[in-house]
Amino acid sequence: MTVTDDGIVHEVVYPHPVGRVWAALTDSEALADWLMPNDFEPRVGHRFTFRAESHAGWSGIVRCQVLELAEPRRVALSWEGDPPMPLTIVTFTLEPVEDGTRLRLEHTGFAAGGPPALTVRDLLGQGWGSKLLRHSLPALLDRMAARERG
Amino acid sequence: MTRTAQHATEDVFTAIAHPVRRRLLDLLAEGEQPVNRLATPFEVSRPAISQHLRVLLQVGLVSERRSGRERRYRLHPDRLRDVRDWLATYDRFWQERLTALGAHLDEESRQ
Repeated sequence: MTVTDDGIVHEVVYPHPVGRVWAALTDSEALADWLMPNDFEPRVGHRFTFRAESHAGWSGIVRCQVLELAEPRRVALSWEGDPPMPLTIVTFTLEPVEDGTRLRLEHTGFAAGGPPALTVRDLLGQGWGSKLLRHSLPALLDRMAARERG
Repeated sequence: MTRTAQHATEDVFTAIAHPVRRRLLDLLAEGEQPVNRLATPFEVSRPAISQHLRVLLQVGLVSERRSGRERRYRLHPDRLRDVRDWLATYDRFWQERLTALGAHLDEESRQ
């Protein structure tokens, strides 16, 4: 995972042609197979929802709208989950590479949601997260867990 | 997460949204501190620091006790655990889904 100013980025190379990856990103049944059940349609402006089983901390519902469909290179969706997550943007960018297709997933827009959302970015980012969340906090949590056991 | 727990987590997010408060938590991660020592690294007034500490107190991120004439503050990281758990879930989500996409593509190519 890479953290940008405004969100997170994942990049994966799949040993498959761009057309096949594009189909997996723009077909309701395919999306249901690897992402979540949905009523997606490949049409800019279409509003739809992803519905997964709810579990701790998450209702399982994501409200989306198709923002961009540039076959076979780019799909952008608005993505609105539970609070404190703001309305964010998920963008898939496809690029043919020697051994298949590089898929870049960008999930951005965290800065738009005001201070609580900015904190999400901050926590995922290098600044505060590197010190407290990655070092001090895990150590403290370990000590707490040891106390709870003891 | 229940509605109440969700609100509580939002409050924690708000509390830690301020850079001074995050810095205070960093200092407190090193152990209990008197308010004087907490105020030293900042170019803001003592009352401002007290105000920030009150916000942290209200959401349960720190506790306060009197020791003689000074007030001492201690970090309660269990409230941060809620936030961290929420973020970890969210990061794992994409990791897992992109792996599932790989499996889906492999399956498609065999047909």
